[in-house]
Amino acid sequence: MTTFLTYTILGLVLGAVYSIAASGLVLTYNTSGIFNFAHGAQAMFGTFLYWQFQQWGWPVWLALVAVIGVVGPAMGAALHAVIMKGLRGTADVTKIIVTVSVLLGTVYLAQWVWDPDQARTVDMFFGTGAKVSLGGVEVRYHEIVCLVAAVAIAAGLRVLFTRTRAGVVMRGSVDDPDLLRLNGHDPERAAMLSWALGSTLAVTAGVLIVPISGGALDANHLTLLVIDAFAAAMFGRLRSIPRTFAGAMVLGLAANYVLAYLPSAGTFTGNLRVSLPMIILFVVLVVLPQDRLRGAAVRTRERYRPPTVRSAAVWGAVLVAGVYLYSLLLSDAGVTTLALGMTFAIIALSLTVLTGYAGELNLAPLAFGAVATVVAFHFGVQGSGLAARLNVQGVLLAVVAAALAGGLVALPALRLRGLYLALATLAFGEFLSNMVLRDTTEHELLGMRFTLFPDGSLVVPPLKAGPLDLRNGTSSLMTATVLFALIGIGLAALRGSGYGRRLAAMKDSPAATAMLGQNLVRLKLSVFMISAAIAGLGGVLMASASGTVSQENFTFVGSLGLLMLVVVAGIGYISGALVGGLMAGAGSAVLVATFNDLALAHEGMANVYTLLGHLVLVLTALVGMGVGRNPSGFVHDIADGYRRMRDGARPVLYGGGAVGAVLYVLAVTGVIGAWTFGIAALCVAMFLPLAGDMYRAEGRVRRTPPELAGVDEPYTDELRTELDRALGLPAAHRPARLAPALRGEANAPA
Amino acid sequence: MTGTEAEPLLELAGVRAGYGAIEVLHGVDLALRPGSLLALLGPNGGGKSTTMRVCAGLHPATGGELRLAGRKVNGISAQDAAKLGVCSIPEGRGVFPNLTVRENLWAATGTGARLADLEEKAYGRFPILGKRRDQLAGSMSGGEQQMLALSRALGTDPAVLLLDELSMGLAPMIVTRMYDTVAGLVEEGLSVLVAEQFARAVLPIADTAALMLNGRVVATGAPAEIEGRMAGDYLGG
Repeated sequence: MTTFLTYTILGLVLGAVYSIAASGLVLTYNTSGIFNFAHGAQAMFGTFLYWQFQQWGWPVWLALVAVIGVVGPAMGAALHAVIMKGLRGTADVTKIIVTVSVLLGTVYLAQWVWDPDQARTVDMFFGTGAKVSLGGVEVRYHEIVCLVAAVAIAAGLRVLFTRTRAGVVMRGSVDDPDLLRLNGHDPERAAMLSWALGSTLAVTAGVLIVPISGGALDANHLTLLVIDAFAAAMFGRLRSIPRTFAGAMVLGLAANYVLAYLPSAGTFTGNLRVSLPMIILFVVLVVLPQDRLRGAAVRTRERYRPPTVRSAAVWGAVLVAGVYLYSLLLSDAGVTTLALGMTFAIIALSLTVLTGYAGELNLAPLAFGAVATVVAFHFGVQGSGLAARLNVQGVLLAVVAAALAGGLVALPALRLRGLYLALATLAFGEFLSNMVLRDTTEHELLGMRFTLFPDGSLVVPPLKAGPLDLRNGTSSLMTATVLFALIGIGLAALRGSGYGRRLAAMKDSPAATAMLGQNLVRLKLSVFMISAAIAGLGGVLMASASGTVSQENFTFVGSLGLLMLVVVAGIGYISGALVGGLMAGAGSAVLVATFNDLALAHEGMANVYTLLGHLVLVLTALVGMGVGRNPSGFVHDIADGYRRMRDGARPVLYGGGAVGAVLYVLAVTGVIGAWTFGIAALCVAMFLPLAGDMYRAEGRVRRTPPELAGVDEPYTDELRTELDRALGLPAAHRPARLAPALRGEANAPA
Repeated sequence: MTGTEAEPLLELAGVRAGYGAIEVLHGVDLALRPGSLLALLGPNGGGKSTTMRVCAGLHPATGGELRLAGRKVNGISAQDAAKLGVCSIPEGRGVFPNLTVRENLWAATGTGARLADLEEKAYGRFPILGKRRDQLAGSMSGGEQQMLALSRALGTDPAVLLLDELSMGLAPMIVTRMYDTVAGLVEEGLSVLVAEQFARAVLPIADTAALMLNGRVVATGAPAEIEGRMAGDYLGG
């Protein structure tokens, strides 16, 4: 009985903190329509500052007032003013990516400021010793504070939302900001207030949860801890505060009962406890009724140009040739890194088809790669030691398994759309990463003894298919590149086919697509399976390119980082997948590693290089935050630039080609390093369109065909004169302004 | 007709506005006299809604002058316009679907009105709203939603009322009832600008009518006169 009571109280306390975190999420979601993935990161950052203030010798109460009264609100208001304000009218994926970027950026920043290798602890209020005894169970003062705070906050928010005008206005601002203006309110003020409040709640939750979950302060861990509160928020369907509160309590109690009553042998119970919130999240998403299909099309600012198979084939060939030429410059290590990047690009293609073409979301692409990797490891390895090879059947089986896993995740989630679907995939990814990839104990099933993830890491040998043996880096790189090109061409063909157009229709308006007699279930299921299969293939190749993989390779943060970079590059484009994947798999790794090596090599400059290494990571996240301003991705802009150049500035195009060739010759002859060449060539490629525009602006004579006059420029009197001239109308008859007679009539009394 | 000689309360002089690089209003002239109802008529795509948005402060004018009671107010924000007494009911349903009827009225107190007054006037004029006070506005019928939207004009004591396509998606009987309410408000001294595609609904109660085509007001005059012109202009004659 005492055990039961003890765990119940612990569960309620954990639930209380979850409820504070979750209500902050509900608050910001209800007032801005943005589901804040960075909520946990805000909690983490506030808690680190709380620790820091105490380190500076501030008393606990002062540190607490500072983080909850100043840091929390300021962080929220700043987020709103700088980033979130610009997200109105963007697609769900853009909103998610921006908050994910804030999450990653905050975590990178925290790890930069506070060295992760140093241990830090946050104490309970009044110390661990301060407690009272309730019916034989000892309850600490800190735990009582948690409970009281949670109840007060839930009640306060409920009152705010329904009993105060400020709260009503906040809710109105997500419905229709323009109408709110017409009512004399400022929706931006309401939204800023809610972000400030939401951020304060996050910080409060962070300060309260660290001591009860062990006291150790760790940026990644704390961020994920608050993400567990997503499940609680989903109980209230992101709207109801009381149900969110109840959901949080269920979550807290369940986590503690699992700990109390399940056998503690092996890794199972511990893993289950960690992944329980995500399991509950998935179940709640699937079970709770969802919004019905909305009639109106989803209007967003994202625009993508569908590719043609011919151009995809041409560019595929160019890519293979380019990568081959480039690989000649690289050292073996460089080739391996690039091969790794290319396998990430293949995984990124799974996002192009799923999100770019079909508008569905998957926040855990790497999880499908993990499924495939586990299958390939168990069924596809031949030989042992250095002679071990992965066979083709194993890879095919792995791809099929990934597709099936994709179908399995999508099947219950088929009714879900946008954010809900994204959260379901997130839950799946987290579940997989905690339950399967940490499952290092031996199981016995149907007389077979097996271990899913022995020793916590898998050694995946290179692929061998007939004469093709991916033993060395170059063959591995070229195979990945050719596969990328082939899948890319396949996707272009798919996008152009009837099936692809159906996907695009589903993306624009699920309701209209259903009206046209399309089977949405079949469409979603199939595109999810295609996407998962591609991710699976990429995952196996990635595992075999790295040699050894562990849970670390397939984490949620890794998946989000990949997704972020692909969206930044342009998720609607195959080239976007290439650039995003390369950046995720090779780009920042190379830069960070380079700076770290430099730091080791040059003692005196170590600080500067370490700083640059951190800066690269934070900057990547900053780029992600900027995606709100340019939701179609930068590849889109660059491609547009090249298209314009082809039409009006061919000399610049040829000039750029010449510069590239000169750079290559310099690199081959060893005058400049391979990476220098890579970066320089990339810069030339990115800035060439700018040069083209300047060139066009220089020598351009303005010539708008008459039928397009006034369409993309103001309809001026000069334009009208020009039109008249073109049409051969006598200028005298031109009604440049309203005829004076009519104007007089307008002002005359009726 | 009142205040014929008085200075216009709301006046547009050569107003230009557009979306991105595309200009939609090419110099609109309009004058709303105090205590009168001006019907802005014309076919789809003529710029009526944009004109209304400019008047409400939701859309910036790129040229010309927007005057409120003789004062140039170009670039005014919607919330300031509302506080100066411009009550605008936008196209579609001017309600917050996820707020209850009462909360909608509460949100309408942003210009200084009292909730109790608003409720009294709204439920007095439209008793059905009183019955639905705790229901989500989005779950009501189109007519009830439009009544709720119009209630804002009843209780907040505005100087100018802007109505955009009040009749959209409503049964003819409800439309008649809505315009009866509007006519009552005009009689009480409110100045109303109505943009309407279906002239027949509003012409009987209009004091003045203006015809808008391709981003310009091409004719202004007595309702009967404009009605006569309309057939020709619609058909491109």
